[in-house]
Amino acid sequence: MQLKPKQTPSIRQALTVAACTLLSAPAVRAQGTWELDSSLLFYSEQDRVRAIEPVVRLKKQISEDEHFALQFVADSLTGASPSGAVPTTTPQTFTSPSGNSTYNTPANEIPLDPSFHDTRGAISFDWGRPLSRESRVVYQGHVSKEFDYLSTGVGATLSWDFNQRNTTLAAGASIGYDQVNPVGGAPVGLAPMPTFPTVKATSGDSDTKQLADLLLGVTQIISRTTLMQLNYTYGKESGYLTDPYKLVSVVDAGGNPVETLYEKRPDTRARNALYWRTLSAFGKDRLDFSYRYYWDDWGLRAHTADLRYRFEFGGGHYLEPQLRYSLQSQAADFYRPFLRQGESPQYASADYRLSEMTTSTIGLKYGVATRRDGEFAVRVGYMLQTGEDHPANAPGQLANQDLFPDTKALLFQVNYSLKF
Amino acid sequence: MHPTTSRRRVVRTLALTVALVSTLTLTVRAAPAPELKFTTANGPLALESLRGKVVYLDYWASWCVPCRHSFPWMNEMQARFGDQGLVVLAVNVDADRAEAQKFLAAQLAKFTVAFDPNGDTARTMQLKGMPTSFLIDRNGNIVSSHVGFRETDRQPREAEIRALLASKSK
Amino acid sequence: MRRLMLTIGVLACALSGCAFDRVQPWERDVLARKSMQLDAYPLDSFLDDHVYFSKEGAHGGRGVGGGGCGCN
Repeated sequence: MQLKPKQTPSIRQALTVAACTLLSAPAVRAQGTWELDSSLLFYSEQDRVRAIEPVVRLKKQISEDEHFALQFVADSLTGASPSGAVPTTTPQTFTSPSGNSTYNTPANEIPLDPSFHDTRGAISFDWGRPLSRESRVVYQGHVSKEFDYLSTGVGATLSWDFNQRNTTLAAGASIGYDQVNPVGGAPVGLAPMPTFPTVKATSGDSDTKQLADLLLGVTQIISRTTLMQLNYTYGKESGYLTDPYKLVSVVDAGGNPVETLYEKRPDTRARNALYWRTLSAFGKDRLDFSYRYYWDDWGLRAHTADLRYRFEFGGGHYLEPQLRYSLQSQAADFYRPFLRQGESPQYASADYRLSEMTTSTIGLKYGVATRRDGEFAVRVGYMLQTGEDHPANAPGQLANQDLFPDTKALLFQVNYSLKF
Repeated sequence: MHPTTSRRRVVRTLALTVALVSTLTLTVRAAPAPELKFTTANGPLALESLRGKVVYLDYWASWCVPCRHSFPWMNEMQARFGDQGLVVLAVNVDADRAEAQKFLAAQLAKFTVAFDPNGDTARTMQLKGMPTSFLIDRNGNIVSSHVGFRETDRQPREAEIRALLASKSK
Repeated sequence: MRRLMLTIGVLACALSGCAFDRVQPWERDVLARKSMQLDAYPLDSFLDDHVYFSKEGAHGGRGVGGGGCGCN
């Protein structure tokens, strides 16, 4: 019975084979091997920095388990940023980084460097391919350019699945080379800012920085609805790690600035982070929690927790509230909101980012699935940074100044993705 | 996993060259398939009842992307080789039958579909990934198994099916 | 450093199967969801990392080779 059709001429069968092969191949290709991800971020601090940052990521799925992606970023900043100098009861005059002009800070206000504007362009790639049935590698690289900063880097991350794909081990490494060309040259660290039109002493027009990162990670499936990731990362930076635009005030016994110095940081930094993340489904909803403990040899310590809960409303709609809390529990050893007259430390920085502080963010994301496996989403967030307004040892008039005015920022982000 | 891969390689090479030799290899390597009982839309189905047919037993799920890509190919195999004795039996392992039905509404299946929501037969067959397929000869022996479905798997798998159909129809 | 590596080793061991039931390949319906992927939204992660890299002293942890800007 089954033998009968076999007697039909084999040429017809051969033609059928050819036809089916020709027809079916493009059908699969039409499933979508390109993926476009795009985002536009608006970032706005009260009275300070504003930024617009568009990002486009284009990913090509070369085969079932190989991809290549290119990412383009533009970043445009305007506004003013705290210089590190302290406020005082009288107006202050500072020389701008270029040395060509001066700017004034009103009495009792934190000095902001108003010449803060920048445009950045960056291109990065990542290329992931299998090494065997259980392992794969992702190569990555980036070039990023600002008018005073160039950053380059390459890296690779290997991962192995085992325990019937319930466990994945990852090991990664990257190296980076950055070059900074500060406006007006790199100031000599802890040298006094000259009074205009005298030009500051510089150590050169440009300087460099080398970076190396290592990662060890494990991802474990805990249950049908929960997975966890644990990463340890180690990073080493060396070279010019100082911020050429940051200042430190030297104050007298009355807390009045007598001199302003350019900051100076050590020329090496070893960073460590333990990062733990868990994703867990509750029905259709999903919890995303991460915690990071960070420590480095500058003495900085930080605890950072991030909690997101995604409520699924059906039809591809979801709402995801987010809470992030970061506590820098220990400042860098050389963090000094101000120096006292007569002190001559080896390093000093008044950059508030190296101080004890908290950063709290509350956010909400709304997303909706669109055609072609795409998604449209909007994210809003509010970020608040608080620190020590009145350090206990602040002398004289400084005791009455707010040495750490809160930073308040609004974040607004639009995402759109599609496959084609 | 490695024996399967090497077996596949052996089978593929031989199947593409001499059917006679491959028959020998397949017989040597074959292991009897366990007695599996499935639930289909048309009632129960025992794997044993397909003795005399070449069975392409495929395990799939609605959430599995390569599974989606395998459906047109399985339709094609069933259409072209059904009259030579090929039965494509695709076992769904979705816990939620509704998800499977949604998938089937989008991906027309012109072959036999069975449902194993608790994964009972999947456990018996010790699946190593999704999808996993088994090629069973007319005597009920498993001659090969494959994990995953890639674009490049189409030709060699078809060749395997053809070789198996040819070897037993003499 | 040595203590840290030991901690990681113990955790990795604890995580690698002895403590948990293996989730079988056919049981990964929930884990296959987009919302359950670690890198489901690469641009959200990228922008978050960038913002906090610019505003905090601590950074990294998620992967290698982050940063890449002057970010004053």
